[in-house]
Amino acid sequence: MIEARGITRTFAARRGLLGRGGVRALRGVDITIPDRGAVSFIGESGCGKTTLGRIMCGLDGFDDGDLVINGQSMAALKPRARAPYHRKIQMIHQDPYSALNPTRTIGQILADPLGLRARQLGASGNWLEERRSELLQLVGLDPDYVLPRYPHMLSGGMRQRAVIARALTVDPEVLVADEAVSMIDVSLRLGILQLLRELRERVGVSVLFITHDVATARYVGHGGQLYVLYRGEVIERGDTDTVIRHPAHPYTQSLLSAIPLLRGIEDPAPDRVVPKGPLDERHDAPGCLFEPRCPFAEDDCRAESPVLARLGGTEQAHACLHPASRSVVPVPAGSATTD
Amino acid sequence: MGGETSEATLADSTAGSRGDQDGAAVRIRDLTISFPTPAGPRAAVSGVSLDLTRGKITGLVGESGSGKSTLALSLLNAVQAPGRVVSGSVEIDTIGNVLTVKGAELRRLRGGALGYVFQASQNSLNPLKQVGKQLLDLGRSHGVRDKAALLHRARLLIDEMGLDAERVLASYQHELSGGMRQRVGIVFALVLNAHVLILDEPTTALDVLSQASVLEIVKKVHREHGLTTLIISHDVGVIGDVTDRMAVMYAGRIVEDGPTPELLASPKHPYTRGLLNAMPRITGDIAKAQPLPGRPPDLSSIPREGCVFRPRCALATDECAAVEPPVTTIGVRRFACYVTAGEVR
Repeated sequence: MIEARGITRTFAARRGLLGRGGVRALRGVDITIPDRGAVSFIGESGCGKTTLGRIMCGLDGFDDGDLVINGQSMAALKPRARAPYHRKIQMIHQDPYSALNPTRTIGQILADPLGLRARQLGASGNWLEERRSELLQLVGLDPDYVLPRYPHMLSGGMRQRAVIARALTVDPEVLVADEAVSMIDVSLRLGILQLLRELRERVGVSVLFITHDVATARYVGHGGQLYVLYRGEVIERGDTDTVIRHPAHPYTQSLLSAIPLLRGIEDPAPDRVVPKGPLDERHDAPGCLFEPRCPFAEDDCRAESPVLARLGGTEQAHACLHPASRSVVPVPAGSATTD
Repeated sequence: MGGETSEATLADSTAGSRGDQDGAAVRIRDLTISFPTPAGPRAAVSGVSLDLTRGKITGLVGESGSGKSTLALSLLNAVQAPGRVVSGSVEIDTIGNVLTVKGAELRRLRGGALGYVFQASQNSLNPLKQVGKQLLDLGRSHGVRDKAALLHRARLLIDEMGLDAERVLASYQHELSGGMRQRVGIVFALVLNAHVLILDEPTTALDVLSQASVLEIVKKVHREHGLTTLIISHDVGVIGDVTDRMAVMYAGRIVEDGPTPELLASPKHPYTRGLLNAMPRITGDIAKAQPLPGRPPDLSSIPREGCVFRPRCALATDECAAVEPPVTTIGVRRFACYVTAGEVR
């Protein structure tokens, strides 16, 4: 189990341009990734979702708070001693075209981390070769076809599967998939998403899925927890399907309203929430962070910072002083279809 | 609708049976564009006929390598060598066949009557020049004498897009967000009074909220300027949201087209059906989503005989292997499939 407790991260800005202070990418975030669980982060560019994923993998540090991996506090360890813990959390990158070394075959790419793993496990003989083929089959690739091939000889979907196989070589407990299908051809995306779902059951890994596309989060994160991030804060969380069907925070509602409508299949939602203007990272007044863009903001929103609070007696929580139920998800087309 | 069923070849079906020839601002006929490959020339666009209805938004959806960008560039007669137009015509209102226009006249059309917003247009601005200066460059290259009028029109357009005109004109591209740069791309395409607007993947690099606002703007400028608009995207969601008519492209062919809501409600071509099934959706049963087997072909792997979708098609029969399926026209719908054509008879 992985727990983030009050993680903060501020990136120093160049002095003079934006003034002092820098960008507060994370402002105290609590996240729990249960064993074999599914967790999704959604939010627009600049909400901190990628930074949080990188911190989990040990690719970036944090300023305050703690990251607890299987009961071990990372804050209590020296950076060098953290590596074995972070190794349990592996990242699947967005771009499978640049995540694989173009000068090495898929076989060579997988052999390096497997060699390390073989030494750790004291394995011998042809363990490495067998494990390599097993992993490739697990991700839906034909070992005989891909092992001698270079990345450029494979399609985007196959490359992303190879990236996932590489992540699995070190027997991780969590896979962090950051926009893992946005560079993949549309007809091949669902195959990758399906694989991530299956790996939860077949290998027992947890999947942390980071995206701005709510529909893919719904698919991969089914049965798990959805966290909605805004400017470095969790502003809503709960069961993935529940949050999508009954969003309480106006920001979550605006993300759902922004999903394109498939006319002919879906009818527009009764309510539509559109934020007032784009995200302004320089805005740093007290009160609710979403207040400047919120169409429903009231006077107290400028004075008081809402904290994440449970909704009724449920597991769903939101950070809004004036939550209201709105129907922002398109409804299946009701009228008879014409032909 | 429906009832009358006819079969024709791709070349003459649009002209013959659609009945809206007079309503088309752009008529693409039997267009074939080929590129040399080590195995000989291969068609990236093959026998395509498509109308862009005047005053409507037409969507062109396809995966990478389907030929959709090549097709769109042909509207500017801008297919890059070694690509070559083998046959066909692109008739545009008040211009004629754009594929025969050359030199200075072609330069006048591009960015003039024909507005084009390029794929990744957020990266197509000059990083060393302010937006306003680049706008004047555009005016100069088109022989615009009245700079003040050009800037005035640009300001009105930028206002229309909900941006601060003075700030945008004085900005370098790195000072603008992705969504703002995309809007600047649209301003550049329209500032010289284009009547045909082509947008190639207008929202690809944008996140969901910027995408929604850019799409709103496209709908608004389309309406207010009385444009004929073509939007190219790999995202069925984007096409489904904004377009009046849509065409589905696969391996250089238009495999299906028709009015967007009808096409999405009852897709006729197995590829369109597969693509819609393979979309994770925000409503409905997620267990119903099914991946499409196989992978999209590239130039060298497009089947040379029979239906190009056959290797990935669950419905394929022996008939599909021999000859490319002709276009079946039912009312305002067109599709190229032997098997589903049988379904509707």
